Amino acid sequence: MPNLVHLSAGARRALLLAPALIFLAVFFVMPLADNSARSFLAEDGGFTLSRYADFLTDRFYLGVIAETVILSAVVTLISVVIAYPVAYVLVRKAGRFSGLIVFLLIAPLLTSIIMRTFGWQVLFARRGLINQWLVTDLGLLDAPLRWLNTPGLAIAALVHVLVPFAVLSIASVLQGVDRRLEEGAQMLGASKLRTFFEVTLPLTTDGIGTGAILVFMIANGSFVTLVLLGGGFQTLPLLIYQQFNTTRDFALASTMSTILLVIALACLWLQLRLLRRQGV
Amino acid sequence: MNDAPSALTLSAIRKKFGSLMAVDNLDLAVQPGALVSLLGPSGCGKTTTLRMVAGFESPDSGQITIGGEDVTRQAPNKRGLGMVFQSYSLFPHRTVAENVAFGLRMAGASKQTQADEVRRMLDMVHLTGREEMYPSQLSGGQQQRVALARALVVNPRVLLLDEPLGALDKALRESMQFEIREMQQRLEITALLVTHDQEEAMSMSDQIAVMHGGRILQLGAPNDIYDRPETAFVATFLGTSNLFEGQVQGDRLQTRAGALPLPARPAGDSATLSVRPERVVLGEAASGLPQQLRGRITAASFRGAYAAYHVTLEGSGVEVTAYRQADTALGQTSLAVGTEVPVGWPVEHGVLVTGNAPKE
Ligand SMILES: Nc1ncnc2c1ncn2[C@@H]1O[C@H](COP(=O)(O)OP(=O)(O)OP(=O)(O)O)[C@@H](O)[C@H]1O
Ligand SMILES: [Mg+2]
Repeated sequence: MPNLVHLSAGARRALLLAPALIFLAVFFVMPLADNSARSFLAEDGGFTLSRYADFLTDRFYLGVIAETVILSAVVTLISVVIAYPVAYVLVRKAGRFSGLIVFLLIAPLLTSIIMRTFGWQVLFARRGLINQWLVTDLGLLDAPLRWLNTPGLAIAALVHVLVPFAVLSIASVLQGVDRRLEEGAQMLGASKLRTFFEVTLPLTTDGIGTGAILVFMIANGSFVTLVLLGGGFQTLPLLIYQQFNTTRDFALASTMSTILLVIALACLWLQLRLLRRQGV
Repeated sequence: MNDAPSALTLSAIRKKFGSLMAVDNLDLAVQPGALVSLLGPSGCGKTTTLRMVAGFESPDSGQITIGGEDVTRQAPNKRGLGMVFQSYSLFPHRTVAENVAFGLRMAGASKQTQADEVRRMLDMVHLTGREEMYPSQLSGGQQQRVALARALVVNPRVLLLDEPLGALDKALRESMQFEIREMQQRLEITALLVTHDQEEAMSMSDQIAVMHGGRILQLGAPNDIYDRPETAFVATFLGTSNLFEGQVQGDRLQTRAGALPLPARPAGDSATLSVRPERVVLGEAASGLPQQLRGRITAASFRGAYAAYHVTLEGSGVEVTAYRQADTALGQTSLAVGTEVPVGWPVEHGVLVTGNAPKE
């Protein structure tokens, strides 16, 4: 293939990227675009914004958006608070065990989310493992506790899924913090705790930001966990599923999907801005 | 040397990393207001020693005192020291003024005191007007001045400098050496400087501690160490030296180059004689000297203020390096390559050292 060699660097790059780009266009961008387009399509075939007007003025639907965002925010907050110490230990204290910790963080991501959520069901069912320990084996409780379909368990399961993303984001930034800066602060009289708040934390806000946005985005679109573990949440993805499958109101489902997409894009935009500031 | 209590002492300090003895039974006392350099090749334990003084490493055994107070197990933030790193290490998320004020803020100084002191320090390091800039907006030299101001503003009991000028280019390095030294003397700050640059150590220090393999080989004033090295290692690490090893026979040293007259009576049967290149005399002036050597000039290079010659001695083939004041305005070396010349040196300019010449 002699003429491939003569292609310019730009052309060669385009050629190499082409399969991935075509795949994304056919199976990702086109369905999304088609879906969004449907939400602007009036009964008579014209263009309309009426569905958005209806949706965004309806108290019920606004409540659903609020619930989605608040649930994601709570999950994000808990995930970051848990992730920071883990990232700190991973980067600063683990030494030769850091590889093991990274493996433990990533391993769950290799199993299907459905499998993991079923795992939670098995553990926390009325006659599940946890209740059996608490009641029969340890005798701490008289009667089994109801875990499934409580908000707490759903949130915990979401956090469990999403913490690794936050850990890895924070760790990568923490890794780049020059230890001499912390030592410099200590030389100038700052205690270890003070050094953390004066130097380490401010220098890792980008990692926290990136991790938080990532977690928030994924939590916003999370579906399987909430379907299987319940918790009484009424979020956009659940509602979209209902509209598509039960109510069969495709236009309304498309409208909600587009709103979810806009929230995701806004997060993506924020994330890119953060990354650009880091000069990545 | 004198009776004033030392500002900083290290006694019998040892530090091992695994099986590697990084610092080995090190003793050092620094007088108040003095600047002492730790000078040595890479990996000899300079930084480790400094970090133990700072409190970031703790010695396996031995004691460190600052101002007479035992600080061996004290946390770094309680030691009242100042430190300047090679990489500047300014807080990138804080302005110049905030960087300099950091230590004062940690000490709980009032806003007014902070502002006054920052102004005074920035004036001293010639950075007035840069208060609101961020470190990334400053040149390397300016950043190092800010680092110096940040370390000095808290009136440290000892100022620690770890290759503070290593990242700067040569011209800037020389002017900063002068500036730091001048400031240190004016403020009478006790300082410990780590460097592997012998010129920097010589031009800045009251005393130099030459380190090798985790030990201090020799401690003394720069000219002292240069003129009277005790070991072959010090003679070659600080400046250049011609080393002649041999057996003592009467008042002469029997070496490969011949029987050389001794400046003093050596302790043992074998000895090493060190002669600085600038002490070596070439040409007619050498014919009256007692060594009675002759050699052929094999290389000559002009170095500005002086010319360097490589001379191969007749008979033995031993190489000798000699420096001569450059004596023509055109900078031509006055002795051509290939010339045969008498070689010698005044006997008292040879120095007996222990140890052997380093094998290359
Ligand atoms: N934290 C550490 N863990 C293991 N070994 C170390 C550590 N710090 C230093 N060493 C080793 O101890 C020895 C002395 O190191 P040190 O940094 O004190 O040398 P140095 O004289 O400052 O050298 P340089 O001029 O290259 O900075 C070296 O062999 C180094 O590899
Ligand atoms: Mg070092």
